[in-house]
Amino acid sequence: MAAFLSLAESQRRIAGYLNRFADAIARQDGATLRPLLAVSSAASLLPLADALSNFSDSSRLVSQSDHIAQFAEILLPLLRSIQSHHLGRFAEAYSSYEKAANAFLQEFRNWETPWAMETVQTIALEIRLLAEKGDRELASSGKSPEKLKGAGSFLMKVFGALAGKGPKRVGALYITCQLFKIYFKLGTVHLCRSVIRSIETARIFDFEEFPVKDKVTYMYYTGRLEVFNENFLAADQKLTYSLARSDPLNMSNMRMILKYLIPVKLSIGILPKMSLLKKYNLMEYSGVIDALKTGDVRLLRQALQEHEEQFLRSGVYLVLEKLELVVYQRLVKKIYIIQKQKDPDKAHQIKLDTIIKALKWLGIDMDYDEGECIVTMLIYKNLVKGYFAHKSKVCVLSKSDPFPKLSGKPVMAS
Amino acid sequence: MERMKKGRSERSFGRETKDEPYYNRHNRFKEVASSSSSSNSAPASPSDSPTNPQNLVGTCPDMCPAKERAQRERLRDLSVLERLNGDTSKTSRALAVKKFCRTISSADLNLSDIRPLPVLKQTLDYLMKLLDSAKFPFEALHDFIFDRTRSIRQDLTRQNLVSLQAAQIYEDIVKFHIISHQKLAKCRERPEISSLCHLNVEQLIKCLLSLYDMYRLIGKGKGISHNEAEFYSLYVLLHLGNSLPNMGGTLSLWYRQLAYSVHMTKEVRVAKKILRYAEMGNFKLFFSTVAMDLTNLQFSLIEPFLDEVRARAIVQFNQSCYKLQPFPLRHLSELLMVKEDELEQLCKSCSLETSMDVTGIKLLPCKQATFCIPKIGLPFNGLSTNQSM
Repeated sequence: MAAFLSLAESQRRIAGYLNRFADAIARQDGATLRPLLAVSSAASLLPLADALSNFSDSSRLVSQSDHIAQFAEILLPLLRSIQSHHLGRFAEAYSSYEKAANAFLQEFRNWETPWAMETVQTIALEIRLLAEKGDRELASSGKSPEKLKGAGSFLMKVFGALAGKGPKRVGALYITCQLFKIYFKLGTVHLCRSVIRSIETARIFDFEEFPVKDKVTYMYYTGRLEVFNENFLAADQKLTYSLARSDPLNMSNMRMILKYLIPVKLSIGILPKMSLLKKYNLMEYSGVIDALKTGDVRLLRQALQEHEEQFLRSGVYLVLEKLELVVYQRLVKKIYIIQKQKDPDKAHQIKLDTIIKALKWLGIDMDYDEGECIVTMLIYKNLVKGYFAHKSKVCVLSKSDPFPKLSGKPVMAS
Repeated sequence: MERMKKGRSERSFGRETKDEPYYNRHNRFKEVASSSSSSNSAPASPSDSPTNPQNLVGTCPDMCPAKERAQRERLRDLSVLERLNGDTSKTSRALAVKKFCRTISSADLNLSDIRPLPVLKQTLDYLMKLLDSAKFPFEALHDFIFDRTRSIRQDLTRQNLVSLQAAQIYEDIVKFHIISHQKLAKCRERPEISSLCHLNVEQLIKCLLSLYDMYRLIGKGKGISHNEAEFYSLYVLLHLGNSLPNMGGTLSLWYRQLAYSVHMTKEVRVAKKILRYAEMGNFKLFFSTVAMDLTNLQFSLIEPFLDEVRARAIVQFNQSCYKLQPFPLRHLSELLMVKEDELEQLCKSCSLETSMDVTGIKLLPCKQATFCIPKIGLPFNGLSTNQSM
């Protein structure tokens, strides 16, 4: 930690920081200003933090010159925040930072040009990070964690400041993404709706104007929302957008997108290669994919059971569970292919008996009533073309294209 | 000027951590609580901040505060169940129950108007006994108890009560909503009833969500009781109904924040199975599981949905079977655990014709194109395991 620090040195450091801050604003120098507000992530603030612990009369330093004093409402809580954070008092650090951020936002509103946009974005990021730390601290001492929720409210204010016709609006998507991260963490995902509406339908924004990085993140989260709502075509479109524009060397980002994109692709009938799973460490899907390839329902059920908790947490469990019908389709198709080899004229008639036997061989016990239900369901959902003759217990396949591919369309909702 | 160290989160989407359970434990309750009974259940004292309300303790000793009793007597605003000897302007301490009031300004609220926990319990017990009363038509009972239990929930959230007894109160209110759900469904073809049904399900869901928050707040690591598991499973089972008011968000989202230990309970597993069977069209296992593996409460909840499932089965067989071989109704009725003539009725309600062959066997001709679910609602048929036995 801090070696012995003289009072004079401490004072010098604090005064230096204050001057840099005020000068940066005077010069409209965003690049210099920005790291001065990165309380939780800037190593460069450590010496300052030490100084603050040592010298307690910062307010005197702030009021010493008008040049600096005009930003007192920002600087005083900001210094407190830096100090609290350094001392590990995160809830306190958050609260002070929020005060400073609010004051900064007031100033920002008055500046015509977006020169301080990156600083605002840093503030948005820091607000979230500090809130998360603050809440962990509160929860571990048995108190109610409400900082992250507060951060969400603050960011909505920031969003409001950017949602206008001026050049500042380009920063709005970054703020939106921070909001998404907060809402996903809090589980209040339904709150995303209003921000999305603002971005997508308000005529202020032109989506193409936003930086690529932000668009990628935005599509990732909105894509995930579509997965929750089982709108697979929209989910495919958004997650693929995100994937296509992500840096392919950023393994962790790619993995995160694929984690949701794969179940979506499976739902519309597209199977990824095993090599893709291996490359991005997504082997939890391998059993599901094998089941879809072989028609082995048992494999699907095993895969779902083995990774149940993981799939439930990411919200894809129900999506994968619904693939069971497609697995049955595969099984029936395999039977058809085998029959075709033996006797091509009769192949289009599949006895229920045969299907039941095949399932038994896979270890699945099913009676005729159940079998009939499954077969009629396959026909009803257009996974099998043909009809089922109840009397003779035979499934009669259509002569042309009896097993339509999903080809981009999810299995018809009931 | 040093380069700022770029945190991982800045470059990537951020670390994907599991949703910390503590958020759900605390924040959800406050959110849901404030939207649960009314849109502004403001804390009584103006000095309270929404994030840290004082713990009020009500002092009203009766089921209905004296002030309200007097006022409603004057205004003749008494429910038929509250009238002393039928007098529209007289009630008593034993009959009057506090009404649900949507907007209460914090200035008007006194502690003497809020009922403490023991009084709430007494009030609820009284209301639950009323449910069995043969004196009044069920609709009147439902109306009254629906409103008065909402008021009980309001008093609970105003006092921020978190305890096992508070949870039991919610549980009993959920049971009331389910009994209503079941009874009202029996006459749902009447349009005025169908809107009551809808409102009832809405409150049922709100109540369940408040209950779950309560469980989380009091539960900390004690393991899941069968009671809790059963009540969690109800939320899953509700998704069997197609025309649900969408309040809890999608099921996937809900599963995400549910503790894995709850997922593993027998009650929740069976609920999920049932949903899956209905989804997959496996009516055989659906009905046999419903008949054998559900608790009474679970069954009461889904009984009104059975005909919707049957309708789906009918349409499935209608579309998939052989045009030249009409489907025997008897077989279908056994599969769907419904009486044959009820099934016939159901087909007719869905605009499907049934026919009869020369030997008198009833049939459903297939590939009829006229299927449609009636807007008013399907006739209500329970579960019949029967036929040739």
